Amino acid sequence: MSSAPLISVKNLSKHFRTFKRREGILGGLVNLFHRDYQTLKAVENVNFEIAQGEMVGYIGPNGAGKSTTIKMLTGILVPTSGEIFSNGFVPFRQRADYVKTIGVVFGQRTQLWWDIAVIESFKLLRRIYDVSQRDFDARMELFDQVLALRDFLHTPVRKLSLGQRMRCDLAAALLHNPPILFLDEPTIGLDVVAKDHIRQFLKVINAQYKTTILLTTHDLDDIEELCRRIMIIDRGTLLFDGPLAGLKERLLRTKQIKFILRDGEQAPRLAAFEKSLAAYPANGALRLERLDELTCRIIFDRKLISSADLIRQILAAVEVRDFLIEDEPIEEIIKRIYAGEDPGGGIPVPAAQP
Amino acid sequence: MTTATHLLAAQKTPLRATLATYGEFARIGFVNILAFRLRYYTGILTYLINVTVYYFIWRAVFSQSAAPIAGFALPQILTYVSVGWILRSFYWNTIDQEMAHEVIEGKIAMDLIKPVSVQAMWLSRAMGESAFRLILLTAPVAVVIWLLFPVLAPASAVHFLLFFLGAVGSFFLMGAINFMIGVCAIPLKSILALIRAKFWLIELLSGLLIPLQFFPRPLQLLSSALPFEHIAYTPLRIYLGLLTPAQSLRVIALQYAWVVALLGLGHLWWRRATRKITIHGG
Repeated sequence: MSSAPLISVKNLSKHFRTFKRREGILGGLVNLFHRDYQTLKAVENVNFEIAQGEMVGYIGPNGAGKSTTIKMLTGILVPTSGEIFSNGFVPFRQRADYVKTIGVVFGQRTQLWWDIAVIESFKLLRRIYDVSQRDFDARMELFDQVLALRDFLHTPVRKLSLGQRMRCDLAAALLHNPPILFLDEPTIGLDVVAKDHIRQFLKVINAQYKTTILLTTHDLDDIEELCRRIMIIDRGTLLFDGPLAGLKERLLRTKQIKFILRDGEQAPRLAAFEKSLAAYPANGALRLERLDELTCRIIFDRKLISSADLIRQILAAVEVRDFLIEDEPIEEIIKRIYAGEDPGGGIPVPAAQP
Repeated sequence: MTTATHLLAAQKTPLRATLATYGEFARIGFVNILAFRLRYYTGILTYLINVTVYYFIWRAVFSQSAAPIAGFALPQILTYVSVGWILRSFYWNTIDQEMAHEVIEGKIAMDLIKPVSVQAMWLSRAMGESAFRLILLTAPVAVVIWLLFPVLAPASAVHFLLFFLGAVGSFFLMGAINFMIGVCAIPLKSILALIRAKFWLIELLSGLLIPLQFFPRPLQLLSSALPFEHIAYTPLRIYLGLLTPAQSLRVIALQYAWVVALLGLGHLWWRRATRKITIHGG
């Protein structure tokens, strides 16, 4: 990807002016005549670039500024300051031309017409985006293969389940085969099967059409399955931008070993082992928990203790039927970043271009 | 490179495709109104009830003496009211209410991500609904009214043609006004009171309830400087032959001038309002 980025965002900020409501009757009366405004910095000085064909996960806690960013990238909101170039357009200034080249899905809303059959909405979108009947048929065929739309194409949108509606919305966003796809929480509220449908579909689209995808989500499985790169935003500021693997490597603190004892007779040996662990040199680097009569879990600091060592010790102490070694879940890492831990790696601030 | 072809696709679409798009919106409007059967039947009933009410009111007004009031004889005023409601079933639309609803639900964002003029989109949809009403509501309502009430025929074939032209103007005038009211929902969020105020203002100043001749002189003068009387009063006067064809053409020209002005104003107002959209949440 040596060519120019498909999306470039520079010093992007969006401030909302809201007014503080006073409480009570008297406060309400005062509100009628005088309002105290305050500025909410929804997005503050954000910079990033996305190359063609990338799938980027954009995460952050509620109210962090994810949706506001997406809404600026899609031309819905006008930035307070900063620049956006996307597919050669300035989104809010060339809205009508620009939106022809993007697809947008907001998980919480639908772009389909509520009271009419899904297929009618698709026909309308075909007209809006001026898609030829042949392309339309070919794409519907592909969408149907992955998303299985056929069964409810003739149902009004209001009667669809959330999962069915999301599948339709995705198809609708991609009917004109846009080079860029923005997804704002595409898997929110969906069951496992529906989530899987959506993820598979995004993979197919990305592979087949080189579609560039930016998605926000609260479900980190989405990210782990789809995105190599993540951006983390909180309180309007970008905290991290880089490969997910790097983030994990840097911030992964603990691992856990789960083991199941062969039988109940291991109990005294386990107690002895537990005592020996207490004397373990690295203080607080290790913790043993009993999950039930036979199952135990040891959570340990992966930088201080090697899992191989630990396993050897366990095997020497007790008779074990089964083992499971796991990394700290990515949720834990993200939680720590939200709580204030420095994700490190730094955010590559793009050099000011002439 | 794929990007290049994608960029090519973003070039201006030809007029034919544009018309096809808005034609499709009109079709959606048509189909949409079909979705609710009950709404359709109650619509017919509502219009019949309204005409009946005004029929008896005017009968009562003229019961003491049959002398014309403000230039209207009883058969004329009854025709005015009946044709007025038939006309209303055609020009009526709820763009403002639907837009207000969309703003509150945040769906206005979904309009902005489509490569269309939002104003033209709303007008096309309303046109589809009006076409629906013309065929399936206005026509049957007209037949029933014709059978039940002593409605006069149009003054002449030319007058009827001009009346039709004026009715189309009424639709666009109403659409342009409703769109502007709808846009107010973007900065104001709740515009229920505004919609209600507009409703009564237009019921009154369009001349639908009472011909404007019945109004005091200063109010008539004020009204002639406003667009509202061209919604009902203008086409209805043409229907009754109260204006000569030449006079009719002149007021229709004025009516369409208002349409253009209000559509332009609505477009600017929309542009201004969308620059300040605030959609919170995330």
